[in-house]
Amino acid sequence: MTQFSRTWWGQRFIQALEQITEPGRLSRGRSYAKNKKVIRFEINGGCVVATVRGSVNPYFGVYTEPFYTTVIEIQPLSKAKWSAAIAYIASKASFVSKLLMNEMPDNIEDAFSQLNLHLLPHSRSDLKTDCSCPDWSNPCKHIAGVYYLVAAELDRDPFLLFELRGLDRQSLHTELAKSPLGMALVAELDTRASQGPQPSNSFFTRPQTFSPGPETDLKDFWLEAKRLQDTIYPPTQAPVSAILVKKQGDFPPFWDKDGSFIVVMEELYERVKTKLPDVL
Amino acid sequence: MKLLHGTWIPQATDGFIQKGEFYLWVETTEAKKRRQKASNRHPRQLAGADLTTFLTEELGIKTNSRDSRNGLADAIVPKYFLLPTTGDKPLPSLELARYLEEDLPETFEWQFWQVDCCPTLTAVKTGSYSYQPVNNVVRLLNDLHFMALHDLAEVQLGADLLFWYHYTQVFKQIILNDQYIPALQYRELITPGAKRRSKKTQPPFEIYPAWEIVSDLYETELQRYAEYMPAVCTAGFDAPSDSPRLYDRETLLRHFSECLLTEIVTHLPSTQAFERKISDSVLFSCLNPQSSGMPWTSSEGLQQYQQWQMWRDRIARTQTTTRFYLYFQLQTPAKAEEWELQFQVAPKDDPSLRLPLLEYWRSRPTQQKQLREQFGTDFEQQLLLNLGYAARVYPQLWSGLETDQPVGIFLSLDAAFDFLKESAWVLEAAGYKVIVPAWWTPQGRQRAKVRLKAQGQKRVASSDKQKSYFSFETLVNYEYELAIGDQPVSEPEWQLLVNAKTPLVQFRGEWIELDQDKMRQMLEFWQTRQQNPEIGLLDLMKLSADTGEDLELDFERDQTLAEMLIKLNDKSRLEPRPDPAGLRGSLRDYQRRGVAWLHYLESLGLNGCLADDMGLGKTVQVIARLVQEREQTQQNGQGSVPPTLLVAPTSVVGNWQREIEKFAPQLQTLVHHGSQRVGEEKAFQTACQQCDVVITSFSLARRDGKLLAGVDWHRIVLDEAQNIKNPQAAQTKALLKLGATHRLALTGTPVENRLLDLWSIFNFLNPGYLGKEKQFRQGFEVPIQKNNDLTQATVLKRLVEPLILRRLKTDQAIIKDLPDKVEQKLYCNLTKEQASLYEALVADVEKQLQAAEGIQRKGLILSTLLKLKQICNHPRQFLQDSSEFTPARSHKLSRLCEMVEEVMAAAESLLIFTQFTEIGEALQKHLRSSLRANTYYLHGGTQRQKREQMIAEFQDPDTGPSIFVLSLKAGGVGITLTKANHVFHFDRWWNPAVEDQATDRAFRIGQQKNVFVHKFVAIGTLEERIDQMIEDKKKLAGAIVGADESWLTELDNEAFRQLITLNKSAILE
Repeated sequence: MTQFSRTWWGQRFIQALEQITEPGRLSRGRSYAKNKKVIRFEINGGCVVATVRGSVNPYFGVYTEPFYTTVIEIQPLSKAKWSAAIAYIASKASFVSKLLMNEMPDNIEDAFSQLNLHLLPHSRSDLKTDCSCPDWSNPCKHIAGVYYLVAAELDRDPFLLFELRGLDRQSLHTELAKSPLGMALVAELDTRASQGPQPSNSFFTRPQTFSPGPETDLKDFWLEAKRLQDTIYPPTQAPVSAILVKKQGDFPPFWDKDGSFIVVMEELYERVKTKLPDVL
Repeated sequence: MKLLHGTWIPQATDGFIQKGEFYLWVETTEAKKRRQKASNRHPRQLAGADLTTFLTEELGIKTNSRDSRNGLADAIVPKYFLLPTTGDKPLPSLELARYLEEDLPETFEWQFWQVDCCPTLTAVKTGSYSYQPVNNVVRLLNDLHFMALHDLAEVQLGADLLFWYHYTQVFKQIILNDQYIPALQYRELITPGAKRRSKKTQPPFEIYPAWEIVSDLYETELQRYAEYMPAVCTAGFDAPSDSPRLYDRETLLRHFSECLLTEIVTHLPSTQAFERKISDSVLFSCLNPQSSGMPWTSSEGLQQYQQWQMWRDRIARTQTTTRFYLYFQLQTPAKAEEWELQFQVAPKDDPSLRLPLLEYWRSRPTQQKQLREQFGTDFEQQLLLNLGYAARVYPQLWSGLETDQPVGIFLSLDAAFDFLKESAWVLEAAGYKVIVPAWWTPQGRQRAKVRLKAQGQKRVASSDKQKSYFSFETLVNYEYELAIGDQPVSEPEWQLLVNAKTPLVQFRGEWIELDQDKMRQMLEFWQTRQQNPEIGLLDLMKLSADTGEDLELDFERDQTLAEMLIKLNDKSRLEPRPDPAGLRGSLRDYQRRGVAWLHYLESLGLNGCLADDMGLGKTVQVIARLVQEREQTQQNGQGSVPPTLLVAPTSVVGNWQREIEKFAPQLQTLVHHGSQRVGEEKAFQTACQQCDVVITSFSLARRDGKLLAGVDWHRIVLDEAQNIKNPQAAQTKALLKLGATHRLALTGTPVENRLLDLWSIFNFLNPGYLGKEKQFRQGFEVPIQKNNDLTQATVLKRLVEPLILRRLKTDQAIIKDLPDKVEQKLYCNLTKEQASLYEALVADVEKQLQAAEGIQRKGLILSTLLKLKQICNHPRQFLQDSSEFTPARSHKLSRLCEMVEEVMAAAESLLIFTQFTEIGEALQKHLRSSLRANTYYLHGGTQRQKREQMIAEFQDPDTGPSIFVLSLKAGGVGITLTKANHVFHFDRWWNPAVEDQATDRAFRIGQQKNVFVHKFVAIGTLEERIDQMIEDKKKLAGAIVGADESWLTELDNEAFRQLITLNKSAILE
């Protein structure tokens, strides 16, 4: 993972931090995030609380490997403002469609600017950060590390941004439910929340067996039950490749490479069709 | 016979990953002796080295692993099949049982039998130096099917393999449409005995990389094919179990498809560049499960799984059924800048109720509620999700979603063009419905093209009427013209369009798409084709068949030429000509049209192929043409027509002679055959000059090629023209050397389907028309037969269609013309062997007859009749020895075989009646082994139960085309065999009523087709005289012809002698 976020909203989120933090701390923060120094982090009521493994530093008098508690908070919006913003969002099909597809609409700020607000943090005053480390500077590298991971999380779950701005999931549902298009989004969020892993008992479908009954006759055994068509049409290629994958958009959450997932899949499909002439 | 079987056999394992392999095995006719008594080895299989040799040498399956030195030998493994068994022996497969004529019992047990199997694998290069075996069943079955279809190998595919061939083609379709995705599988590890833990703590798990098919097509085809699947496909096992087991069809098919997909994708040859693109990703793990460090057991793995799951879930959801279709309709604008793309929906159960979204939003709440009942209660949620996905593949759509009531978008001209060219396809492929303006559809589209305007030149008046046949040979004028749609466009106008800035322009009020590059090419083409305005008619036809969409033929200025080509392509436009006065008997309507076609074609100087179905009377059409042209020349006072050479298989030479005698006795006929034939060139030429028709056989055409080439033939007719299908054969080469004004080929086999035969026939008719053999193979045969190339098939069809007249007896127009029962006699000569046996017997009998009296005389007469009939059938029947039952010894048998083959090729069934049990049996055996046909044989000794079973099986619509041989006595009454529409009487009975009764087995209530009755008559023998008597029966008042032969014993010696004496001209070597 060379980039913590590939979505526009994740990157905008990161920008807010980067403009108020000293570059050395940012780069150490990135390596903290990458090297799994952030032991755990939780997001509760718009507040991110994390435990970060620090390093031994005699200069600060730290001689054993310490654990620091890091907190990041974003300025919450009032309930009334949220009501207005969500009403605006639910009035536009494009917003709802994108959110249905788990994507933050690129013009989401329109819903907030009319209220003289903004959704994504963009200045020092939007962020409230704290860390138990001895560094005098705030944000420190631990805060930066946690912050990058939050950005990565935002890529996967854009609705987290609402939560960080003080709109918990329950309230989001309530607000959305006020309009017909919002209802559509609620239904989608409900199905997502209820999903758990789907366990399988075998890698491939397990072929079942049964003991043949007395009704089997020789014709059924040796010949096809219904006559197959004499002429079959040769298999043909679809006009557009990789359409299953394309419909889902690029960079699915499990894909953390820098190159496009769709491009790679198109190449893969093409290779299957052309590089195995003796097989297919 | 070797019957190739095969199926998918899952590994015997309870492990999480259960693989499988596709195995081939071969069932044979001969049973191997078992060494040990209790062996469970299948006795009728190709085992070990025999199997290897067969697969390698006969089927060309060389090896399936790079490092194996022993070829396939290392791969052969024993597997176990649960097979129907009786008396400690596996029953043969149904196909083999038919071949072996083995009666299958009603009841049987199940037992596992060990069979040597060969997996279908090929070596695939997966690294720079590494090869791995990969299942190539898709490719292999495609090739094997092709080989079996075209008789390229001595092998027959069992119903199990045919099933797999069909299914693997469906599987390939899914692969070609990219309907599979990388996947992760979550396996919960539950320690046995331990209770499921509380929901909060995650139980231990493993996550595996995998591949998954996500496809509606797959799901529906799977259900369909599970129904088709023969049970034998489910009977193969890795190891035998204690009790009989079969696999469940659907889960076996799923197992096969999933394993095959995984095997194929995980063995994809890769490149370093590609590896870099996927390194350390889920995709890498899915492609390389061995080196992926999987299964994952950490919570990080679980997180990846969950991310994948959400993605997969949404893919699956867009594939699953919403209750409505989403439509995008592009409207043609009034003004150039306003292209509206309207959003519409329609319920899936009634797409005709299409509704613009605009109307949905405008409806009152109660109406909306009503509509939601049709579209689904979650309509708005699904609509927005689907619009969102549509916008993802076609981002222009976003602009229409900036509202809470989306109805459509507006596009600029360029955007509209892009939509038509590309996005419409993408949306359609993504599962949406797209409606484009009519002028964009293939039917309504106006395109830029170069038109070829052709004009038949006026014939030059010539005193030499013979030459008029060639008048069209080089005399078609042509001219190229630039056009859009059907309007000609001048060069400056064209230039203007070429230079237009947009690809979509309004031209004379219609929207059209321009491909400026192509138009520039067309212009160049047009500019270079202004010279050389003459072309031959055949070349013109070739040009018009072979053009794509950019070049089209146009005849607006020339009515004659247009009509000419239209007539050639649509033969129903030919006016039937009245029967020639000199023809004895009258033609049916379609035959009159056939004669008109022959006449028309020859008047244009073209050579064609008359390919009417067997039984429709090709012979009589040719005879009518011969009579007609003579009457015409006579009318015009043009002297005589030079002779026509008729080349036919030896077995029908006599038939031609008899048919000409019957329909046109005025035609002077010379049979050039036998040792008495004229061999001296001058004498032969003189003899020919006095003749109208010279009949000879294919073999003599080769032997006497030089002699025949010395005559200027008016016409060469090849009967059963498929005899020249081998271009290398000396006989073909000899025929190609003969010179003639006209050439005509006759055949009853569907030549269009046997491409090389078709080429050979056309090479005789119009050399060069279909190109050289090699060109033809590359250009047509391989693309059409192996790759199912529809474009090339159409081009070929357009090329040959004008020159082939093929009417099927199932054509509505023909049925109308045909009586329900069409009777025809087939005259065959005796072979030399038959003739000498016949003569010797007659001579012997004549002597004995002088001395015999009373009962002894009667007995002698009856036994003589019997023996003579036997000789007419086949020498072996008379000799009663174990000599060979070959067609070479009897023209009757060889003609029967040829005709049966034709019937089988048309996928029809037939009956053969004979009065002799021994010949019935021999016929059945011979037809079965030489044609590999499905045959039945019913005779006096057949048990009732068996008889009922055979009849039911023959009549069953699921049984393929079959041959039923019946003895006249046992099969003559009571039973219904209406599946057959051809009835052959191999030998004759004295009483036509008995024959008719037999014929009526097929010609009964329930018969949907016309029935063709073919009666064999040996020329110059008592058979011909019996036939004559039956014909004259009406004239003989009181009908002395009794039900049997006893009345013949009343004949006096002289009359009897006349009856049986052989007419020597009837012998044909």
